[in-house]
Parts: sequence; C-alpha cells; structure tokens
Amino acid sequence: MSGENDPAQRVAIGISFGNSYSSIAFTTGEGKAEVIANEDGDRQIPSILSYVEGEELHGGQAKSQLVRNAKNTVAYFRDFLGQAFKSIDPTPCHQSAHPVQAASNVAFKIRDTAEEAENTVTVSEITTRHLKRLRNSASDYLGKDVNAAVITVPTNFSDAQKSALNKAAKEAGIEVLQFISEPVAAVLAYDARPEAKVADKIIVVADLGGTRSDVAVIASRGGIYTVLSTVHDYEVSGFKLDQVLMDHFAKEFIKKHKAGGDPRENDRSLAKLKLECEAVKKALSIGTSANFSVESLANGLDFTATINRSRYELLASKHFAAFARLVTHAVEKAQLDPLDISEIILAGGNSHTPKTASAIQNAFPETTTILAPSTSPTAINPNELSVRGAAIQASLIQEFELEDIDQSTHPMVTVTPHLSHAVGVLCISGDESSGIFHAIVDAETSLPVRRTAIIATPREGGNVLIKLCEGSRHIKVTKPEPKPKQERDSDDDDDDYDSEDEEEELREKTWKVGKVLSEAALRGVKKGAKIEVQINIAADLKVNCIFREVGGKGGVRGLLSGPKVQQNGSA
Amino acid sequence: PVLPEGWSGERDFKAIGPLSHATDRNIEPVGPHFLAHARRKRHKRTFSEDDRI
Repeated sequence: MSGENDPAQRVAIGISFGNSYSSIAFTTGEGKAEVIANEDGDRQIPSILSYVEGEELHGGQAKSQLVRNAKNTVAYFRDFLGQAFKSIDPTPCHQSAHPVQAASNVAFKIRDTAEEAENTVTVSEITTRHLKRLRNSASDYLGKDVNAAVITVPTNFSDAQKSALNKAAKEAGIEVLQFISEPVAAVLAYDARPEAKVADKIIVVADLGGTRSDVAVIASRGGIYTVLSTVHDYEVSGFKLDQVLMDHFAKEFIKKHKAGGDPRENDRSLAKLKLECEAVKKALSIGTSANFSVESLANGLDFTATINRSRYELLASKHFAAFARLVTHAVEKAQLDPLDISEIILAGGNSHTPKTASAIQNAFPETTTILAPSTSPTAINPNELSVRGAAIQASLIQEFELEDIDQSTHPMVTVTPHLSHAVGVLCISGDESSGIFHAIVDAETSLPVRRTAIIATPREGGNVLIKLCEGSRHIKVTKPEPKPKQERDSDDDDDDYDSEDEEEELREKTWKVGKVLSEAALRGVKKGAKIEVQINIAADLKVNCIFREVGGKGGVRGLLSGPKVQQNGSA
Repeated sequence: PVLPEGWSGERDFKAIGPLSHATDRNIEPVGPHFLAHARRKRHKRTFSEDDRI
C-alpha cells in the first residue's frame, strides 16, 4: 500500500470547489473547523487561473487579469468537468477564455507557456492545476503535506462529473475520501457546532452563488439527513445582481460623459465594470452606501460614483423576489408547506445581502428561522458553510480505509425506508374520552429509529389508556372575518383549502389522527404523573413500544408486527 | 385518555394494526450520526446492542 492511501499518513482537508470561488478548511485538534486563507490572504479563493508569459496566476491575482489578459484566463470551469461539449452553457465564460471542443472533452485554448503558441488545455487539466494550488496553500498553512480531501459538489452532479473530478484530484495529489453534497455540508457545519442541538426538523438550504442557485429541502432526523427535494436555477443568480449595478453605473457614466460611449460595449471596459460592481455589491452588504470608482473606465475617462443600499435594493428588487420564489418552489416540490420549515440556511456569497434574507423571510412564517448574517447573530459566514462541513466530514473519516468508506456510502446502506406518516400517541385534552395527537416520531424519519417522549396523564390519575397512532399533518386555514376563530376542537380539523381570501386567513399546522396501531393500559397511575413512551421502529416496520410511568416500575411492553404483504425495499 | 370500563388486552397491550408502508429514500452519508447508522447496519446491530459497546 502506498503511503498516500495509508490512513495513518493522511492529512485530510475539506475543499469546496465552486464555479466562482473555492475554499479550503481543516479541523483543529479540538474538532473545530477552520477555513484556511491562501497566500494572498483570501478565504474565498476565486476559481480562476491565468497565464502571463508562462507564469501561472491563481485566485485573486488571476481574477484581476480578466481585464488585461482575458484570453489567457480561465474561469467558471467547474460545471464543464465531465460534460460533453454540446451540453455545457459557456455563457459565464464570455469575458474570459472560451471553452472549445477537444475530442469528447471541453478544453480551453490558452497561451500557458512562455512560448508564443496556444495550447489546448482540457478542463480536467485546468481543474488539476487549480486543485494543486489549493492543496499547496493548505500544505503551506498546515506545514504538512496535504494528500486527502472531502470535496463538496452540487446535488445534481452526475457520476461522470464526480469521476472526472476524482481523476483531476488524483492528478493533483489529492485522494478524494468522499464527495458530499453542498447543502448537506452546510447543515453539518451548523449541526457540528458545540451549542447545536440535534433535533427533528425540516431545513431548507438556499445556496445563492454567482453562476447558479441551488435550493435543497432536507429532513434532519436525529442528525441523519434526507434530501426531500432540490431545485437548480442558472438564471436566478448573483450575476444578475452584478448586472443590475453594471447597468446602473453604465447609464450614469453615459449621462455624465456624453463622448465616453457605453462601457458595456467595450470588452475591457466591461471587465472593469464587472469587477468593480461585484466589489460594490459586497460593500453594500456591509455598509449602507458604497463607492464605485474605476480609472479609465472607457475612452480614458475615469469614473466615480456612489450608490446607497436602498437605491440598490430598489433596482434589484425583482431579483430578490426571484430568490424567494426559488425557495418556496423547492418547498412545494417537496410537497410541504412553508409552515413545515423550521430553518432556512442561506449559503453562498449572495446570502450576505440583507435584502436577500429579508425577502426570503417574508415568504415564510415567523416560526421559520433564517440563518443569514443579517438575520441571526449566530449565523456562520455563508461562504464558508460547505467547506466547513467538508472539513468536519474529512476529520470524521480520515482514519477509515477507503474501502470502508465506499462500503458505508453504498446504496445498500444509504437507501433506507422512511416513515410515511408521523407516529405518536393521543394525549390528554380537555375532553377525557378523546385525545390530541402528540407526534413522537415524525414522518420522513429513516428507519430503524428509537424515540422517547414524556407525556402527561389525566389530572386525577387512575387507569389510563394509551393509544399509539399514525398522524398526518394538515394545514388548517381559518378565516377570521365572517365568524370569530372557531374553538379548536381536539382532532377535528376543517380543511378550508378552497378559501378565497388569501390575505386575511390564518394558517396553522394541525394533526389529523390516522390509523390506530395499538392500545395499552397503564393502571393505577398517580395523580399528575407523567408517562414515558419509548418507540422502536425497525427497518421492517416492526414496532416495539414501552410505556412506563416516570419513576414507576414495570410498565407495559408491546410488539407490533410489520405489514404482511409488502415490498419493503432493501430492509 | 382514561381507560374505558371493561377494556382488556393481553398483558394490558392490544395490537390493532401495522404501520403504513414506508417509502424508500436515500439518506446522506454525512455526519457522525450517519456513521453510527452505517456501523450498526454493517454489523447488523440494534440500538441497544450498539449502546452496550
């Protein structure tokens, strides 16, 4: 076995590799993820390579070459990896080296040596060079040779793209321990914080990047994550926000300098405009006004101007609304209601924009927490979420043999049955004969599962009947106008789905009791006692439950067999 | 709810019906809780067996 594949010799980091930016992170001895800055001091390293007289520039230095040396600068290449030439969208590369076809691969024609000749460099080779630079930065920082990594990829990255990335990483001297998806890495970054409590909740991760936006709805059940739906959009993106500013300042420039011409019509002017507008956008996320200033923007004319945040928000309002629509669309796609969403994690650079967060907040009820810098003081930097998740995952698995990791991530392990309905007990309500549903295990929980809950008993104690049932969530819509709010009557909910007046209605989550699974009797319960309910559901849907008075002895145990005729997948 | 008069069950427990069918979904192979799940699955252990180790 070569030293590189030997887990004992491994130095593993997390890499987030994006179209616009990449970052690298490692996990400290105390288990805290830390993002590494490269030699330029950047934690968000532009995924750009540029060649000047044979010298390779990377990251921020390469990005500034987009103005003077666009032809030999390669940018926005991540999504081209492992793709056929005809299936790629080269739009983001209009202002840098254009992708060309080379056999079945995508390549770039660039002058990457000191000689006066253009070479055809495949996108995998470009990726390898980019990853090498990232690896070197991490190695320099850690003082150890980094040779392994967990890399984040979008949820719609195909196997062909993953294997191409794996190959490019190997060429760069990086053993890929695992590819994990970007939204799940973001959730892990939050859940791995020491103050975080693992709970059952539905989380939406909205990754608002430069060239694309990806939204994923994830069920988090006891720290196990299941992706319920994903939405990808290449139109609703940060570039659209840049474009708003570019158009604004271009018009201002034309107004001021009649002879200057439109800076958008000259490649170099456009490149300058674009770079400065991205900087202005970032400044507007922090301050309430920002300066735009470019030397010799067009026809040798300098241009300076200022813009305040509210002006920018007005200009870009339709793009913020588009972000919010994208998020609600993903929730609909998962067949859920905004009320089902406990948390929305905003990731990606454009989540810094306060208006993005508030537009999304407005589309969701108050019960939904938005985790973004402008809405939550404890939010993690949205740029760093996926790389932190990757670093944590890397530290968890770096001791494992690659074979073990492959076996553990095999569908035999990852495909598991998930509950179609919530399971819970009927708890006391005002009426003694009926009960209200109290969910103990939520729907979409992966099996096997074990959950314990404490429930209250009737005030006067005595003999108690515990009913275990299935429940399904309903959205109860109440119209406050014609009749005052109806008294909420235990398990009867009227579904006014077809109500017309959208603004005035009051929506709330209620439970509808479904199939009764079992009944159990606890006799002689003390006054005001609480009952502990433990439910074990096996992968074959066998249910094992224990009901016990808190502090009491014995209790009732019961076993329920699974459904008889079934096709239960791999269980 | 209060136990109705004359209710009886074997050892005070009465099974009524099985759970509805489950849906198969892919869980994400990420995080410490997944690794614990994978360990249990590969060694065919239950929760309580896993707790004891």
